Amino acid sequence: MYSEIMTLLGFKSKNAVFKLVGRLVDEGFLNKDNKGRLSPGSFYGAVRTLGYVEAGFPSPAEEELADTITFDEYLVGNREATYILKVRGDSMKDAGIVEGDMVIVERNITPRSGDIVIAEVDGEWTIKYFRKKGNVIFLEPANKDFQPIYPKEELKISAVVKAVVRKY
Amino acid sequence: MLKLFDFPRAILHIDGDCFFASCEVAKNPSLRGKPVITGSERGIVSSLTYEAKARGVKRAMSLWEVKKICPDAVFLPSDYETYSLFSVRMYEIVRRYTSDVEEYSIDECFADLTGLQRPLNMSYEKIAESIKRDLDTELGMTFSIGLAPTKVLAKIGSKWKKPSGLTIMPGRNLHYFLEKLSVDKVWGIGPQTTAYLNKLGVRSALDFAQKDFDWVKSCLSKPYLEIWKELNGEVVNEVDTARKSLYQSISKTKTFTPQSSDKAFILSQLSKNVENAFIKARRYKLAAKKFFFFLKTQDFQYAGLEIKMNRQTASPNDIISLIANRFDEIFNPRQLYRATGIILTDLAEHKPSQLDIFGEVLKSDKYFKIFGSVDDMAARYGKHTLFLGTSWQAMNFRQHQGGREAKADRKSVLFKGETIRKRLAIPMLGEAW
Repeated sequence: MYSEIMTLLGFKSKNAVFKLVGRLVDEGFLNKDNKGRLSPGSFYGAVRTLGYVEAGFPSPAEEELADTITFDEYLVGNREATYILKVRGDSMKDAGIVEGDMVIVERNITPRSGDIVIAEVDGEWTIKYFRKKGNVIFLEPANKDFQPIYPKEELKISAVVKAVVRKY
Repeated sequence: MLKLFDFPRAILHIDGDCFFASCEVAKNPSLRGKPVITGSERGIVSSLTYEAKARGVKRAMSLWEVKKICPDAVFLPSDYETYSLFSVRMYEIVRRYTSDVEEYSIDECFADLTGLQRPLNMSYEKIAESIKRDLDTELGMTFSIGLAPTKVLAKIGSKWKKPSGLTIMPGRNLHYFLEKLSVDKVWGIGPQTTAYLNKLGVRSALDFAQKDFDWVKSCLSKPYLEIWKELNGEVVNEVDTARKSLYQSISKTKTFTPQSSDKAFILSQLSKNVENAFIKARRYKLAAKKFFFFLKTQDFQYAGLEIKMNRQTASPNDIISLIANRFDEIFNPRQLYRATGIILTDLAEHKPSQLDIFGEVLKSDKYFKIFGSVDDMAARYGKHTLFLGTSWQAMNFRQHQGGREAKADRKSVLFKGETIRKRLAIPMLGEAW
């Protein structure tokens, strides 16, 4: 890697490259892992910089917007593992989740106690708190009119709830 | 015995297990373990779960046949929107590991892992395992994967153990797989060639792979020479990473029920298909110079006509007027029809053409601009916001009247702000209580 950069930039020594790389790492353009391998840093992606303004005064807004994200990025983490469901009933109403709400969930996450999860119960999806006390695992509703669910056999947690969306 | 390094190249073939049916089960846990069949809107089995396979159901079987042998089968209408969303996710997950991914079909892809052990700090086997784990857990269904030195071999690998198989085929073990595989199971070798090869004493894939170069060259044509090379571990077909952009032909067919012998109605069905075919053509900036249109009768007979034009076009009305002029040549008013279809061929990149004396080209270019706006409207307000008058009857007709009209779930369970035409690009798993 270092010798490639050396020939690429016409440097005479690897030490010069090492210094350059050090600067780039400091500025966040490159990342260096614990084995010293390099990977691209934050310049990847669609970050706009001031230099691209074509006419008129450079707008300070452009620069500020570089640090903003879209609703999509805000709500969705791992895009390929993300799904949506519609909530039925009010078993989670004390958690602020009510009938008709959209929940954004992610598969492939190991749930921690206290997470709101989507579990498979009797061939249906159910949305509940995931609770773990010692060796006991159960699903807890957020509504005192409902009973906690203690699984008889294996409990299938399919996804973890990451966000709730309600449009008025 | 074939002599080869283990992985001079490392090619992966990934195949979704009964993909459409699996997408349905991934969405709806009550279907797990049941014989599930998709394709009810067409009246035939399009995809089926292993539970249905075990009961003797096969692809392309008619639904009433299925009902006889498997009365508890669950029939579902195809939900191509969801299948496409899952399909894109499959490609994207594989792209986390390598940019060399070939989107081979909606439920299959190839990936080239050559040289990635060091950057990913994993052996090829481990990379394949890791891809499979991501796919299985994030998509909620299983995939079968073959890892081998070439595409032809990788494809053998992904079929070797199904469902949910991961078959590693290093060069030194190839003979073990090939000797057990009948030669007709090799990708690209059809029944005719199989019969011919059998006559020459070639029965297993290994028999074929062990023939020498000159023998293959004198007995078979070039495509089979390529297969032979790939069976011997030499890459001939590279993983083609160009996203699907060039089609050799574009076809659109739609069945309607009840069947009809109403000329105007059938013509409007055809017109709708032509519009849809060109929507796709324009998306890939393609224009057609030749097309074939056909009608399918009640008893599954086809009547069709091929028309070659003197210049390429990307506008449906050019073709519809040609069809209208010659429609009577294939249409019989005493016949009942069940489907219409259009195939655009001789596709090439759409480019402004030379002017002609009659100004036809100018007119056509003008239409092209108009359809550009039609596409913009569709992007903003949904497909078919604007359509041709000739398609009116078909656009205002539910494609299947009566019992067959089955709408996929996704189009009936909507969130506030979603419409029948526009929905969030995230798979919907249904309701949770």
